[in-house]
Amino acid sequence: MKDLKQLAFEQKIAITLLTVMSVLKGAAMIGQAVFFVLVADGVFIKGKDFGEITPFLFGLLLAIIVRSAAGYLIGRTGVDMAAAIKRQLRLKLINSFKEDPLLSSAESHSGQKVSLLMDAVDETDGFFSKYIPQLIQSYIIPIMLLAAIVSQNWTTGLIILVTAPFIPVFMAIVGKRTKEKADEKMEQLNRFSGTFLDILQGLTTLRLFGQGKKQKDKIEESSKNFRDSTVDVLKSAFLSSLTLEYISMLSIGIIALEVGLRLVVFDNLSFFSAFLIMILVPDFFTMLKDFGSAFHTARGSVSASQMMDEEFSKERKQVVWGETELAEGKVPHLSLENLHFAYNPQFELRDVSIDIEPYSKIAVIGKSGSGKTTLMHLIAGLLPIKEGSLLIDGKPQEEIEESSWFKQFSYISQSPYLFAGTIRENIAIGADRETSRKEIDEAAEKAGISELISSLPQGYETAVGEGGRGLSGGEKQRIALARAFLKKPTIVLFDEPTTGLDLQTERVLQQSIEELSRYATVITVAHRLHTIRNADSIVFLDDGRVAAAGTHEELAANFEPYRNLLPLPQGGAPR
Amino acid sequence: MNELAQVLKLTLHEKRDVALAIVFGVLAGLASVALLASSGYLISKAALTGQMTVLIVIGACLKLFGLGSAVSRYSERLFSHRATFTMLGNLRVSFFEKLSPLAPELYSKYRSGDLLARIIGDVESLQNFLLRVFYPPIVLLLVFSGTILFTMYFSVYTAILLAVGYLLTAIVVPAYFAWRKRRRNWKTRESRGALSAEAAEFLYGFRDLKIYRQLAGKEQQLARLAESYNEEQRSEGKEEVYSQSANGFIALLVSLAILASGAYFTAAVELDGLFLAMLVMISLGVFENVAPMAAFPAHFEESRKAAVRLESVVGEKPREKGIDELPEGSLSISAKNVGYVFPGEQRPALEDITIDLPPGSKTAIVGPSGSGKSTLLAVLMDILPASSGHVLFNGISSEEFPQESIWQRLNVVLQENHFFQGTLRSNLQIADPSATDEQLASAMEKVELGGFSLEMDVEEKGQNLSGGEKQRLAIARAILKKGEVWMLDEPVSSVDSKTGQLIYERLFEGQPDKTFIVVSHDLTGLEKMDQIIVLEDGRLIEIGSYNELMRSKGYFYGLKEIEQQVMA
Repeated sequence: MKDLKQLAFEQKIAITLLTVMSVLKGAAMIGQAVFFVLVADGVFIKGKDFGEITPFLFGLLLAIIVRSAAGYLIGRTGVDMAAAIKRQLRLKLINSFKEDPLLSSAESHSGQKVSLLMDAVDETDGFFSKYIPQLIQSYIIPIMLLAAIVSQNWTTGLIILVTAPFIPVFMAIVGKRTKEKADEKMEQLNRFSGTFLDILQGLTTLRLFGQGKKQKDKIEESSKNFRDSTVDVLKSAFLSSLTLEYISMLSIGIIALEVGLRLVVFDNLSFFSAFLIMILVPDFFTMLKDFGSAFHTARGSVSASQMMDEEFSKERKQVVWGETELAEGKVPHLSLENLHFAYNPQFELRDVSIDIEPYSKIAVIGKSGSGKTTLMHLIAGLLPIKEGSLLIDGKPQEEIEESSWFKQFSYISQSPYLFAGTIRENIAIGADRETSRKEIDEAAEKAGISELISSLPQGYETAVGEGGRGLSGGEKQRIALARAFLKKPTIVLFDEPTTGLDLQTERVLQQSIEELSRYATVITVAHRLHTIRNADSIVFLDDGRVAAAGTHEELAANFEPYRNLLPLPQGGAPR
Repeated sequence: MNELAQVLKLTLHEKRDVALAIVFGVLAGLASVALLASSGYLISKAALTGQMTVLIVIGACLKLFGLGSAVSRYSERLFSHRATFTMLGNLRVSFFEKLSPLAPELYSKYRSGDLLARIIGDVESLQNFLLRVFYPPIVLLLVFSGTILFTMYFSVYTAILLAVGYLLTAIVVPAYFAWRKRRRNWKTRESRGALSAEAAEFLYGFRDLKIYRQLAGKEQQLARLAESYNEEQRSEGKEEVYSQSANGFIALLVSLAILASGAYFTAAVELDGLFLAMLVMISLGVFENVAPMAAFPAHFEESRKAAVRLESVVGEKPREKGIDELPEGSLSISAKNVGYVFPGEQRPALEDITIDLPPGSKTAIVGPSGSGKSTLLAVLMDILPASSGHVLFNGISSEEFPQESIWQRLNVVLQENHFFQGTLRSNLQIADPSATDEQLASAMEKVELGGFSLEMDVEEKGQNLSGGEKQRLAIARAILKKGEVWMLDEPVSSVDSKTGQLIYERLFEGQPDKTFIVVSHDLTGLEKMDQIIVLEDGRLIEIGSYNELMRSKGYFYGLKEIEQQVMA
């Protein structure tokens, strides 16, 4: 909660405004009570006529206006402050996502990150829009009210000073007990609310097995159970507010008695003071109670803020870049020297040394989990190298200017991501420049997708959904190829799909890689024999190490694990 | 309000709790007014007399009203929450009953998990309907009526002013803000959706964005969307503050008017000054009850929208289907010129498919990803309705039979199979509630899960099981069902190929007279199928036995060639 508070108090203008408005509101509350009482006192005790008390009525009107306006401004400031801080948090989160190099390889946590950006940030809203304004008011207004009360009758002030502390104390005790009970029941509650979702999710299964009807009773029963245990938890929460209510009632009762005694028996208190006290005292206790309920809303925000803290405090090692620009259009010589990288204790890539001549074709093979994709990401400059170096035309990668490097290559993954937008936009994203219609057409033609596109009613302007919904795997692959043709890279990183492609895409892929390799170095995570055989060099990865490297003939002759991998054609011998 | 009629009906389904909540709500409201009234009277009376007895009587009243108010408030909260949760339960059941006939089709048409999350969220948000929409105005009306009747005895003008105040703060102002809210139609929800979609795209497409140097642009766009979502929230929040303050201000103005009129009539000796303080305290007290009405517009609009959205999900009429029972005995299935187009898409997912699946035949559906294999299976099993053409069972259109009558005869294993929270036993028994432990165990053995205990816990969505285990469990469940026709959609894609082949063999050899339709991306082991259907782009491009297809050197042959090229 400390961090959230700190965030709030960084909003200096808002906090000042809240403080000033709280003072104004407190003053208006006192003013309102005073004018109320002046009017009543005037006509009732002093027997003044209506004309004489009219100024008081105007005073009252003014107090009411000030009180409402101050209240309104406090509310607005709270909303503004919440909006400003939520904006800040979201931008910070987006920035931290952007700088997480591991994101490029780990798609699994994306859902969690989205929920952090949406739900966790929203959950902090109550803290800033409700709790902080209430906190400031609770620091200021009750003290002003107390001062006004003491100025009329110090003994009343004394009674308040004795009884009021019971409210926060009880609130803490009862609140803690409620929380314990709630935590205890929480698991049970979650289970109940989960059942409904579970049944809805499994509705297809249930219907296919002819069990749809029976589930109605189950929902009914679990809802009843859910209701009963929720009410059970609520009961103790309500009981706590009953106690609070009762404490404040009791204090008001004692004060009323004391005021009454002074009025009647000792006759040393005026009607004016007595009435004023009786209006101000309930206000005083209401302020304390409001603070209690605001405190409750704040608790939900705290766990959300903890989740965000975890994200912010993650250690991230950035990929370092330099100033040297690469010559455009010149295929660079790449050299990996004793490259080392570790994700987590379970996996590391060690001592990888590969020399990649310009225009060469490299095939990377190995079992799944042997580090093929990690190696590709390291070569691409997407992951930070821990030890060793990647030399580009003899210069360490750290000295190369980032965008001149990214301009050089295309990465064609197994499942290319298509962004929400038209097909044209999705192809054009490949080039980091203005592209003509003709260029896009040509790229699509080379990637064997132009026929399909022109068969669509809206052609290139056809919208594809998030992740390319509505397109088959092969079509997405060909759009990724079109991106590469448009970009004219000098290095192509290609993650060859294992299965599921249509024959046309298979053919197009082979031709395209052949075509691209005339102008570029092509590094492929290879699964197909012809790709591997055609490679100038095969890198065989095993458990994060280069187990062997060489041409097909060399490996087939000398490296047993490679021979075992080769598919056996009908004849039985490797082709 | 029409949209909420259904919710209202369900709320009033169990009247007792609602009635009790209203009674206690009114009691609590009246007691708190009485408390303030008596304290106002006490002070005035005490200022005039020196009698201790008056003081004691009124002091006792004060305690009584205080305690009464607190206890009633407690009971009110208890009953109103009980009623709310009862209503939520009823709502769930009623919603389930409406969704159930639509479910499989709806789920496969809109291939999204959002649908369910939205439904759950909307059902939950209706819990505010009773607490914050339906019931505060009623309680308020009764509390005001009681107070007005009481004050009428002392001052008609005060009573009239209170009535006007009630109309303004409980009806006119909330209605005005509800109207404003509806007209302004905040796009908070929509902008939230846009931000969430863009964030997902940013994260899932991160690598491509980075390589194509689009990260900065997308980041800005994301920031912009975050900004506009924030602005919508801000302006909606301010509106709520505005509505609250306006209501509070009007309540105070009415109290001011009551004081002014009271003072005027006291000065004119038409009202006993003894009651002036009491009347003022009454007005302050009764308007405290109006506070919940400030939140009314927001909750009203939210409930209304939730009800509309829920209605739009379940409002779709279930397909009209015949009521004939599928005849007993062997079942032949065929498709005649079947086509299917997903809603909102232009390209057909299936086009002009004609196939024949005689009883006891074994058919494989193969083809590249996205070629329509699963869609064809869904149409064959009547989960999706053919957009054109017909699916025939024993020569009669599937439209003549209720879905349940068809599904009863099928053993289905989908790509995604749901498992419920519970045990392995409870999940298997969905197929056959009366199955003995021996039968369950034997089904488990057939899928090589013999080592698992039937008592093993299954977590939500089966998340404690691996993909392969879930697939095998789904097959075991289907074995227990004993239908005549097996329809399997990539049933062993996550199982190692040796075990997969073993399971297939057991299924085929154990039940030679049953019909099998298997969707597979894997082309090994298809030699034993009677026919292989090859799809590309939603069209049937080849059909025949393994040997026929290999001999003709067509599409299937090409796919097979590639498969042999692939190294693991």
